[in-house]
Amino acid sequence: MNRQLAHLSDEALVALAARSEQSALAELYDRYGRTAYGLALRVLRDQALAEDAVQEAFLSVWRTASRFVPERGKASTWILTLVHRRAVDTVRREQRRRADSLDRAAEPAVEGVEEDAWLRLQRERVQAALRHLPDAQREALELAYYGGFSQSELAERLGQPLGTIKSRMFTGLSRMRELLGEPGTEISWTSTT
Amino acid sequence: MDLHDLTAAYALDALDPDEAEAYERHLSQCEECREQLADLNETAGSLAFGTVAPAPPAHLRVAILDAAAAERSNVVPLLRRRWVARGLAVAAAAAACVVVGLAVSLSQSSNTRVVTVVLGANRTATLHITGLSSAPSGKTYEAWVIPKGTAPRPAALFPGGGSTSVHLSGTVPPNAVVAVTLERAGGVPAPTTTPIFAAST
Repeated sequence: MNRQLAHLSDEALVALAARSEQSALAELYDRYGRTAYGLALRVLRDQALAEDAVQEAFLSVWRTASRFVPERGKASTWILTLVHRRAVDTVRREQRRRADSLDRAAEPAVEGVEEDAWLRLQRERVQAALRHLPDAQREALELAYYGGFSQSELAERLGQPLGTIKSRMFTGLSRMRELLGEPGTEISWTSTT
Repeated sequence: MDLHDLTAAYALDALDPDEAEAYERHLSQCEECREQLADLNETAGSLAFGTVAPAPPAHLRVAILDAAAAERSNVVPLLRRRWVARGLAVAAAAAACVVVGLAVSLSQSSNTRVVTVVLGANRTATLHITGLSSAPSGKTYEAWVIPKGTAPRPAALFPGGGSTSVHLSGTVPPNAVVAVTLERAGGVPAPTTTPIFAAST
């Protein structure tokens, strides 16, 4: 694996990808491909669909890298947003999967998955923050983000007014932001430059 | 519907398409929402790290890099293949203009398609195309200017058919590629199909 670009920030890699530097795309994939695939697999629960979602998202990175504006957010957030959006679009199109019960947002089993230490640390921090939320807020975030349910689908399935669902999402996400912002819970990719 | 309330749901991709569109329109006019969304987007993105991530199959990395290479090299190999200058008489360009690109390709019906890119003194450009059939219903031809090393910029939409002259918006920098693709009616912000032709200036 070519890691000559390992010292560059994500944002610098995106700028190189915009200049058709293929090794920069490879390096971005090596940093976030696994997280991207895990996310797509959680939402889609199908390996082939998850692979498609990840591939399409990284090709979007390649095609639109020149339009990425670092001032508006981190490159990793941008990449994972593309993956998530692609996965959610697919799961909503696949009506068959939508017939599943709400527990489809549940975490898959951990056994047999070899993780590197960094990824395990990030996962534990995010899960710890989620556990700090009141149940109703955590449920709304997990079903929306990991389950791919829209707010109106959630209102219907949970038998709650739409305003309640919106409020749970907003309060839950704002609280997550505080929790993750506390010292020791930094989860961003730290550049070594 | 109070659009300010939709920021968290938008960050979580939990809006239906029409709601998402309405929110995006609102976003262009609301500084407060833009700031709030930037924060909540980062937090929503962190949820991606909150799930177990098995290693993706090795062929996925190969497939992505191969597809990326094939896409970005679209322009140049096509150009080499189709850049057939062989003795074709080029119509005399106006004195202030220089013909910088000439591409010829054979369409399926064996009609000769001739595309010339005429560059004006101030680096504006016009495409002259003959032998290009009309775009099918619901489709349009879209011209692109691709400055070296950057993404394609939409430069014109045109229906094709017969002989067409198309003025390209903006300027064409040195070493840029001019390309034409077939896209859905109304045009798209980035090309989605393989160019019908591409020529380097």
